[in-house]
Amino acid sequence: MAYVSKTFAAYGLVILTGPLCLKAAAQDYVDLEAEQANQSARSYPATSYGANSAPAGTAVTPPPRSIAPAGGQNQNLGQLFLQIQQLQQDVMRLNGLVEEQGYELRKLKEQSLERYVDLDNRLSAAAGGATVVAGSQGAAEEVSPVVTPPPAGNSAGQAVEQPGEGEAYRAAYALVRGQQFDDAVEAFRQFLRDYPDGKYAPNAHYWLGELYLVIDPQDLESSRQAFTLLVTTYPDNPKVPDALYKLGKVHFLKGNRERAREYLDGVIQGYADTSAARLARDFIAENY
Amino acid sequence: MKWLAVAVLPITLILGAVGARADLTIEITQGVDNPTSIAVVPFAWQGPGPVPEDVAFVVDGDLARSGQFAPVGRADMLGMPSNEKEVFYRDWRAIGAEYLLIGRISASGQELRVDYELFDVLRQTRVHTGVETGPVSEARMHGHRVADAVYEKLTGIPGAFATRLLYVSVTRVPGGKDYYRLTLADSDGARPIVLLESREPVLAPAWSPDGKEIAYVSFETDRPAIYRQHLATGQREQLTNFPGLNGSPAWSPDGNSMAMVLSKDGSPDIYLMNLATKNLTRVTRHYAIDTEPTWMPDGNSLMFTSDRGGRPQIYRYDLKTGATERVTFEGAYNARARIAQDGRNVVMVHRQSSDFHIAILDLVTNRLHVLTSTQLDESPSIAPNGSMVLYATKSGDRGILAAVSVDGGVKFRLPSREGDVREPAWSPYMNR
Repeated sequence: MAYVSKTFAAYGLVILTGPLCLKAAAQDYVDLEAEQANQSARSYPATSYGANSAPAGTAVTPPPRSIAPAGGQNQNLGQLFLQIQQLQQDVMRLNGLVEEQGYELRKLKEQSLERYVDLDNRLSAAAGGATVVAGSQGAAEEVSPVVTPPPAGNSAGQAVEQPGEGEAYRAAYALVRGQQFDDAVEAFRQFLRDYPDGKYAPNAHYWLGELYLVIDPQDLESSRQAFTLLVTTYPDNPKVPDALYKLGKVHFLKGNRERAREYLDGVIQGYADTSAARLARDFIAENY
Repeated sequence: MKWLAVAVLPITLILGAVGARADLTIEITQGVDNPTSIAVVPFAWQGPGPVPEDVAFVVDGDLARSGQFAPVGRADMLGMPSNEKEVFYRDWRAIGAEYLLIGRISASGQELRVDYELFDVLRQTRVHTGVETGPVSEARMHGHRVADAVYEKLTGIPGAFATRLLYVSVTRVPGGKDYYRLTLADSDGARPIVLLESREPVLAPAWSPDGKEIAYVSFETDRPAIYRQHLATGQREQLTNFPGLNGSPAWSPDGNSMAMVLSKDGSPDIYLMNLATKNLTRVTRHYAIDTEPTWMPDGNSLMFTSDRGGRPQIYRYDLKTGATERVTFEGAYNARARIAQDGRNVVMVHRQSSDFHIAILDLVTNRLHVLTSTQLDESPSIAPNGSMVLYATKSGDRGILAAVSVDGGVKFRLPSREGDVREPAWSPYMNR
């Protein structure tokens, strides 16, 4: 028995130190990562048996070394090997988790900073804007009491592109093209907060309506609101027939077949020559 | 573990006929919305006998393939001017051409000379003139250089038409061993030259930074070994013969060393070989798989694929500080990075749901965009001007090459006439 445990200990020693010895003897290269590890005392826990290790689940896995003495030791060693493999896999998985959480944290920090800066900007802009309006009103009263500056945020007809607007819209649209739908929703919402009367505001409403249908989970009510906003605020916009068709679809998805049919028929009658009308006809043919 | 199979093993093959060559043809599948209309008039031949090469045709094809230009058909041209005196802007405005390119070809002995002039039809001015000279045998290259100059003049981005492609074509022999051919071709797939033909797998072709040499992995000795080969002389040298994996050679930007993957010390790790002394430096040391190294253009850091986080992702190793950081976080699978010359855009194989696509990551904004909608896309390679990405994909059951612009707006395919084509490698700019 004493012999057995002694050999086991000896083999264990070989297993754990063997690769190191081999490396010390056969190493014909400079080991950058190991040097780095020594310098910073940041050693990978796994480095010491790296040479013996088996990358988990790959074709290049060397088979566990068969150890000559039969019986219990062999089995123990096999178990040890399996345990090491299991530990390696666990460490890799945890490593990935730590990396990803670190990344999420960095992202969250950046986002909260951005939000703070944005809020700060808007607060100071609001404060500045208020004084400007008050000032101009005062001036207007003095010079000619009849003229009052038109209040901000009026009808759609006279929308002009505001500085930075096109860029913000294209950035949001790029997210749609990149299929980053959740980010795109956020970007278009932000766009509408920044440029509620912008030239591209109708498009942003339309895209939001579309996006709410493709995000996971689908948000039918928000989609309906977005399309409705477009249709009611910008009745002359060329996107209106498409939005009406989509409204029909959204109501259908919400289970309201009658309301859906009203919208679909509305598109077909009101905008007969559009592709939206064609789509509406197809939709009716398929579902009614 | 698809990426490992690609890196290590000869890959399963698809049906195809035996053939000596794998010529590529080009099909443009998607262009930009408002391509610039340009008329490329056939260049006048000022020599005896037939013209050695229709240079204007090469220019025409290059510009069309960029997706940003819509060349005017020759049949629509109301005249064929070859010098400024013969140019009537009205004729070109009538057919909607925005730009006009004319030229003359002359030869003295084996030397060919191409003079060309580019006109802005709307402003009625000449905007560029140029001359290309060189051996008659390189006449197509002259055309590519003219296209480069026109492209740069009109888009502000240097063209990358006068470059070459390396790719591996596989021809299946029913009931026998397959043929692997390492092929060199013009950037439009024309003039294929077989550099190496083998009945054993050939993979991972890579360019030296000066475009004069290539490296690849060949199984001709029954196990993978890395070779380097000089293109002009054909002289080649076996660089490695270690037990286990020898793969993914990647020349450093200064040309002095080569990053590679070796598994001689256990699991696959990244090593650097000094090409003068053949000394090895081990870069990564991890029981996970580290593979597919590629260099940042400044040569100070390497990117590689590793599953040290449980799933394949791209990592960056800084050769100066020794720090390793993870680069990709979006998606369950990101592998085989290639970095644009600006050091900002990284293309890679990316898995979104179940399909493998090519994606591009902007290292400054950290935004990842999926560029392709084909399936089983692999081996992206980026043009030296950073405008297009070439990659391997499947069409039906055949392996083909396809390309997509880095904004996803332009797409074309280069299907091979026979066999499967894979592992494209776009050359750097070629110095004359």
